[in-house]
Amino acid sequence: MRLRGAIAAACVVGLGIAGYLTYVHYAHTAPVCTTGGCETVQKSKYAELAGVPVALLGLVAYGVLLGLAVVRGVEAALAGVFVAAVGVVFSGYLLWAQLGPIGAICQWCLGNDLTIAVVAALYVVRMLTETAE
Amino acid sequence: MDRTRLLMLGGAIAAAVVVVAVVIAVAGGGSKSARTTTTATTPSTGGPEAVSTFAGVPQRDDTLGRASAPVTLTVFEDPQCPYCREWNIDTLPTVVQNYVRTGRIKIVYRGIVVIGPNSVDGLRAVYAAGLQNKLWNLSEALYERQGDENSGWITLRTIRDAAREVGVSYSRLIKDANTKAVTAKLRQAANQAGAYGVNGTPTFAIQKPLGAFRQLQVSGLEPGVFTAALDAALR
Repeated sequence: MRLRGAIAAACVVGLGIAGYLTYVHYAHTAPVCTTGGCETVQKSKYAELAGVPVALLGLVAYGVLLGLAVVRGVEAALAGVFVAAVGVVFSGYLLWAQLGPIGAICQWCLGNDLTIAVVAALYVVRMLTETAE
Repeated sequence: MDRTRLLMLGGAIAAAVVVVAVVIAVAGGGSKSARTTTTATTPSTGGPEAVSTFAGVPQRDDTLGRASAPVTLTVFEDPQCPYCREWNIDTLPTVVQNYVRTGRIKIVYRGIVVIGPNSVDGLRAVYAAGLQNKLWNLSEALYERQGDENSGWITLRTIRDAAREVGVSYSRLIKDANTKAVTAKLRQAANQAGAYGVNGTPTFAIQKPLGAFRQLQVSGLEPGVFTAALDAALR
């Protein structure tokens, strides 16, 4: 229960970050930024996947992960591992894009990277410790 | 530790890696890249837009609009600059419609190299199109095809496709691109940028009749935000 609570809390943080970036995307405003590269990253081609803002995809993913956090069972844990792993791998790709082709770093993206890594780690622990129904 | 669970865990992670790899391979590079590919192969997006924005608007060399327009808006830009693309694609049509067509302002293009050497190729092509009085058309058609900064997207093929779509003679453009006239235009823009302390793009400047050349401060490039700043400057 404690572990699922921690997952839920981390997902809420992720929802906050992804929600803010989704808002910024659709509001066509510049994100609050101390690293100086957020707007460049937001306006880069990597900010969208097949026309869908990656921030919106993140929002959906965190929503799913939060939903899975409240469901008991190994299956929910396994699904959580899968979704979180997709998030970690995709975040790694976006981190590579920031360091490479884009040449700018977005603090919000780094925050998301950290958050999804924590969520994934917690889901792995949950997967290995969850009591079978 | 439960071997089955470890296997399931490994399987889920491997599946996630495969899913992301497939998604990036199929849809990766973002929508802007997809748009670039589309316009490069089908004469739809860049051409008609670039033509319709400027259809019927007088163009001479680097100037868009009536020569008699009392106010000059000078735009310093780099064909590789994403914000310049944003302004040209999203906002310029509104500015042309409401300010240039009505004879209130004319716009002067000043192409400067901010991003990298590939910008020079684009600027030479743009200024060469100016010799055919279609500088603004080619500029917009190139923005429609914009790729990653310094990825080398401004190729002869890109320029040829853009030129064809906006009715610029490619053979003449290539001949003109390395002439002294075009080199002089590049130098003029760089000198003017240096003189006025322009170090980023896009940078806008306004000159009223008998007035000094002064930078137009804008808080955003969206049509509403930009035209509000323009209106304030025109008052």
